[in-house]
Amino acid sequence: MTKIYQTFYPTNLTFCIILCVSTISIIPLFTIIINSSIIDFDFTLFKNSQFLEYTKNSLIILFFVLFLTFIFGVIPAYLITFYNFVGVKFFKYSLILSFAIPPYIFGYSLSAFFENFGSGYTLINVIWDTNNANSYLPNFSPIVNSVLSLSFTLYGYVFLLSRTSFEGQSVNLLDLGKSLGFSSYQRFFKIILPCARPGIFIGLSLVAMETLSDFGTVSYFGVSTFTTEIYNSWFIFDDLNASNFLSLLLLIFVLFFFIVESYLRKNSRFHSLKNEGKRKNQALKGTKNFLATAFCLCLFFFSFVFPFSQMLYWSIKFPEYLANFEILKLNLNTFLLIFFTSFFLISVAIFINFGNRLLKNRFLSFFSSLSISGYAIPGIIISVSIISFFSLMSSFINFDLKTIFIGSFYGLILGYFFRFYSIAYNGIKSNFLKINYSLDESSYLMGFDKFKTFSIIHWPILNKNIFSIFILIAIEIIKELPITLILRPFNFETFSTLAYNFATQDLIEATAIPSIFLIFWSSIFILISFKYFFQDNK
Amino acid sequence: MNFFAYLTVFFFSLHINADEINLYTTRHYDSDIKLYKDFTKQTGINVNIISGKAKPLEKRILEEGKSCKGDLFFLADAGRLYSSQKNGVFKKVSSKVLEKKIPVQFRSDYWFGITKRARIIFYNPKKISSEDLVNLSYEDLTDKRFNKSIAIRQSNNVYNQSLIASMIENNGLEFTRSWTKKFVTNFSRKPQGNDRAQILSVASGESKLAIANTYYYGLMLSGKKGKEQKEAAKKVRPFFPNQQNRGTHMNISGIGVLKYSPNPGNAIKFIEFLLTNAAQEHMVNNTFEYPMIESVDPPSLITKMGGSFKQDNITNVSSYGKWQTDAFKIMQEADWN
Repeated sequence: MTKIYQTFYPTNLTFCIILCVSTISIIPLFTIIINSSIIDFDFTLFKNSQFLEYTKNSLIILFFVLFLTFIFGVIPAYLITFYNFVGVKFFKYSLILSFAIPPYIFGYSLSAFFENFGSGYTLINVIWDTNNANSYLPNFSPIVNSVLSLSFTLYGYVFLLSRTSFEGQSVNLLDLGKSLGFSSYQRFFKIILPCARPGIFIGLSLVAMETLSDFGTVSYFGVSTFTTEIYNSWFIFDDLNASNFLSLLLLIFVLFFFIVESYLRKNSRFHSLKNEGKRKNQALKGTKNFLATAFCLCLFFFSFVFPFSQMLYWSIKFPEYLANFEILKLNLNTFLLIFFTSFFLISVAIFINFGNRLLKNRFLSFFSSLSISGYAIPGIIISVSIISFFSLMSSFINFDLKTIFIGSFYGLILGYFFRFYSIAYNGIKSNFLKINYSLDESSYLMGFDKFKTFSIIHWPILNKNIFSIFILIAIEIIKELPITLILRPFNFETFSTLAYNFATQDLIEATAIPSIFLIFWSSIFILISFKYFFQDNK
Repeated sequence: MNFFAYLTVFFFSLHINADEINLYTTRHYDSDIKLYKDFTKQTGINVNIISGKAKPLEKRILEEGKSCKGDLFFLADAGRLYSSQKNGVFKKVSSKVLEKKIPVQFRSDYWFGITKRARIIFYNPKKISSEDLVNLSYEDLTDKRFNKSIAIRQSNNVYNQSLIASMIENNGLEFTRSWTKKFVTNFSRKPQGNDRAQILSVASGESKLAIANTYYYGLMLSGKKGKEQKEAAKKVRPFFPNQQNRGTHMNISGIGVLKYSPNPGNAIKFIEFLLTNAAQEHMVNNTFEYPMIESVDPPSLITKMGGSFKQDNITNVSSYGKWQTDAFKIMQEADWN
């Protein structure tokens, strides 16, 4: 069979291209490692007691966010998959909308509502007409605020992945549980939860990665975490190498979650059993019905309605800010970025995965999977490594690459490539894995060349999912901040950079309009992708 | 603009015309953009802008080196200006106009102060009487009578670092170290939120004193933050410390011409424009900062707070940059989060 491959395919060229693209995609990882190696180990921050304090804060936040996202994700996923209650169809879609709210925008809303003389104060005044409204509002500590903002905006990962796991569970197995006389609680803890464990863990590891590399939310509330240390070492101590070193430590820690995730992903294939029969969802009655609806309703309210209505309230209360926006241009900028980036990312991912499938080279497969590390590196470090890399290359080859890639549209696309390539790569890879190798072999035996095989066998299967991968990339690009902020050209704004600009000048009210657009487009994309996602699963 | 023309600009946005200047800025005020449009109207020179955080922008400028298309870098803290100067971002500029208009402690050979900000004390008259504050200096904030009374933001805030840096410059490292340790014990809560949140904490009675920049207070009083915040601001009084000695701590927003600026002539014209009466008036009336030039009065909301207070005209703002790292270390040692 190898002979057939070699006859039809210019193996060496493919090998070189994959090697080349994969090498480019690990530039940030590479620059971080190089820069970390020249760190001055007399580095003051390590000697500082605050270093441990910051790391402790990160771990505390991580623990509580994981705990809450587990509760917020698994319980509604379980209820929606196995029971009928008031509003179940609505919650199927609405609970996923929390993805549309970036944690930092949730943070703005939370602090605006609960701060002294904030929106909560106004609301209480409207209802009770009291002078003492501030004292009725809880004063959450910065850590609690950060945990809430991250949990309410990230639980979607756990919700979505546990739902998929629950949906895929064997009806026979559940029936067996019933016939063994298990109560619904026993069935949940002894059958459903253990079977869905891989999916839930994947969701939780994604939450962990996002939480650990978050800076926007924690810095807004003034909590110092490990990421604060990365920023402090650069912004205050002017030591970018130390900052790179700390990023590398963070990356190694996050890598642990990656390994757990990919290990579970591998195993999860064995857990997903075929649905032998149609599941009949049990109807909940009385208090149980009420509690299920109330829980999901509260979750939907806090994760989506609450931040969205705060933005809506601001845009109505301060309509003067509307005049400041070139709305058409902002939409166009965002959509052009989405379109070109996803086209580029998906094309590269298809080529690399197809090439790997043909070459079956273990080294190359491993090497190209390293490219997904970008997802775990803070965006700001990625942008700096792009800047440093092109500066270095320009002097090395004596050709000005800097004007092409720094502060340009191309540079931005490259930045997004480093950060979000994993979405395209993993998405395409998992679809390729669904295609049995024997199909390829039959195709070659029938005399089809590799392009024909790709277009007749692979493409029809891949093409169904390309749209959902496109949507996932689009959602990430709309919300992305640090890379866009640093690498964008002159006079170029997106919804997130504009919201950031207003937030930093303490005109948090003016962030409402770009935030609403950001939430609106993300919601549309999420609902479309959700439809595709579950259609495919069915 | 039709779509294709827009696409062309989008992809080839790197082409720079002679009649343009390119500005990197960490100031994100909308009113600044209106001002730049006025500059274009007057001179025909377009102003292209990119905003962001100081260090990443500085890194971009430094790595772009001779390929840098930028002409100017506008920063909102004297310490940051000093640090960028030290890292070789700016070009030496000499302009008689600028030297005449800007007091020597608010400029260097490489950058020029454009607006001033005062970091002052705010108090709640219901919680603390104004007599208790007579002749108060920053140095007195360690006093036991202020135990658990003071709201201030975190140590990684650059305005706090500059304040502590100015104390090091005036009182020395050892004094400031022990002062900071005592000062932290007088905090009313764990540092959190921005300057406005500190003022609101005083308004609600949670804290007796707050340390914040004046323009946050101006913004609240102006009603731009809504009527609740305006009412809250009215519950709070400003107090200008150190009137008996060096004067109240002042910081600046400042700008410098980049080392490899392709249009240095236009860049200097732009800085000179920012220091005209009209531009200064526009800026301070919108941002509630203090003007750099004497011929312009601060906005009335700000003068009502105390127009004729004594500003610290002794400490050169460059020294903030010199001491900022030490200031941060001292704050960290004192468990100022």
